[in-house]
Amino acid sequence: MASEGQLFFGLSTDAWIVSGVSLLYLLGCLWVGMRGGRDASDSAVGYVAGDRAMGPLLMYFVIGATVFSAFSFLATPGLAYTSGAAVFYVIGYGLVGFIPFYFLGPRAARAGRDRGYITQAEMVAGECGHRAMAGTMALVSALSFVPYLALQIKGAGLVVERLTEGHVPQWLGGAVCYAVVLAYVLKSGVMGVGWTNVFQGILMMGLAWAFGLWLPYKLYGGVGPMFERIYEVKPELLSAPGTKSWQWFISAGIISMIGFSCWPHLFMKAFSARDDRTLRRTVVFYPTFMIFLVPIFLIGFAGVLFPVPPPSPEQVLPHMLMSLDLPAVVVGLFCAGALAAGMSTGDAIVHASASILVRDGWITALGRKLTSTEERRWVRIFVVILMLVSYVLAVFYEGDLVSLLLYAYGPIAQFLPGILIALCGRRRDGVAVHIAMLAGVAVCVGLKAFPEWSPYGLHEGLVGLALNVSVLFALGFVRRATPVSARA
Amino acid sequence: MSPAGLQRVFHRRSKLPHVLFALHSALATLCVVGPGYKWWGASAQPFVLGLPFSLAWAVGWLISVFASLLLYERWTRHCEDSERGE
Repeated sequence: MASEGQLFFGLSTDAWIVSGVSLLYLLGCLWVGMRGGRDASDSAVGYVAGDRAMGPLLMYFVIGATVFSAFSFLATPGLAYTSGAAVFYVIGYGLVGFIPFYFLGPRAARAGRDRGYITQAEMVAGECGHRAMAGTMALVSALSFVPYLALQIKGAGLVVERLTEGHVPQWLGGAVCYAVVLAYVLKSGVMGVGWTNVFQGILMMGLAWAFGLWLPYKLYGGVGPMFERIYEVKPELLSAPGTKSWQWFISAGIISMIGFSCWPHLFMKAFSARDDRTLRRTVVFYPTFMIFLVPIFLIGFAGVLFPVPPPSPEQVLPHMLMSLDLPAVVVGLFCAGALAAGMSTGDAIVHASASILVRDGWITALGRKLTSTEERRWVRIFVVILMLVSYVLAVFYEGDLVSLLLYAYGPIAQFLPGILIALCGRRRDGVAVHIAMLAGVAVCVGLKAFPEWSPYGLHEGLVGLALNVSVLFALGFVRRATPVSARA
Repeated sequence: MSPAGLQRVFHRRSKLPHVLFALHSALATLCVVGPGYKWWGASAQPFVLGLPFSLAWAVGWLISVFASLLLYERWTRHCEDSERGE
């Protein structure tokens, strides 16, 4: 992009055009998001679960756009750029991590309709008959969501900073984008999230394909010639697991797959679907969203032999676009696409985590009584608090985005045994599930602090899950031998 | 197999579709997340439609899982409809 145009307020003409296109996108989001919740009721179920009335189109985009985040648009090309084929683990875990939802989603939805659940923790605690577990799950979810949300805010800030030639700093870019998210989440709840996700999903898929095919063509003459050229110069990047180890590749894939199938903000969409068929069709068509990762990979690989390296791997795409002398409108469109990817995940996360903290932490675990209107008001207050905490983390965190996401998966993966027992188990010992979950989470947090203690360099979430399941089995045996009257 | 033969094999109470779907999903997991990737899908060559084999492997499984989900959902829907009809 040419940057030597006339300067207004320190910004070149091109930077103004980029900012203008991004601003138009933000206004579009705001308009769609504010109108999205018009038909939902004023109740907590309306705000959190959209009155259990989401149809197939909305569900498809809600799930797809929620999954594809700033991580997909920035960190994935960054990983392809630095580590080559290591990035293919993202297709693997995303593909198989959602299959369990085909069976678990409809079961959860039925339990929700029968017993009024609208969150994952509420369902697990209710089905296992142990209310305190909802509090633990709420806390763990919120603690895992904060870095995930921070990642989205940081991603938005990075894009805006790079594409406005550093004139709009990261902290300001992130703040403006998430002020828009805050506005429509507060006003419209899950339906605002849903309809903006349709808008954002179409935008980011279209742009990813356009850039993913165009960049290899422009730089190498096509996708095939690009890979042939990389194979001549850096062949190690095209064989899995790229420059990473197989231990890293498999353990990152497994923990992400498990964590992905347990993510509370995705799982609780089971309570928003209109019926079981809608849920199943969402899972069936989900791989059509996954194919969107291919152009994202192509973008990262296109940067491998780019003459001038980017300042950081996550900036490989904005860096290439800025160096290619493209029309400012095209760069602005990319900016909008990257913001869409981050915001479509950020809105779902902040809405889900606030709902979980109020519904599970406050109402279910602590036993407070709130009217529907009070519950809705408190969810909104927590939306603001969580957004602020994540924003502070995003501004002050210096590490890379992938490790931030991999940290979040570990504690969330500890929910898996509880979810399976709640939905499929014949004997549901809530106390045992709760103790095992706490043990798993404690190991995750401990190994994150002291990674050198992790056996064979495995992801801390996997070690935690192994302990979680072992404790569950051990307690199952002990407590089965204990008379019910003597149990906790 | 004739359509009538297929109907006999995949009738409403048949366990075969469940077994096939479970096996296919387990195989997909082994091949894209587990060591199957290392054993069979890791190589850069041959190039398939311009993509390195390691990427074509993952994309191939993506298409295969989509097809299997599509067929399984159709069968589930067919079972539900025929149950409702009775």
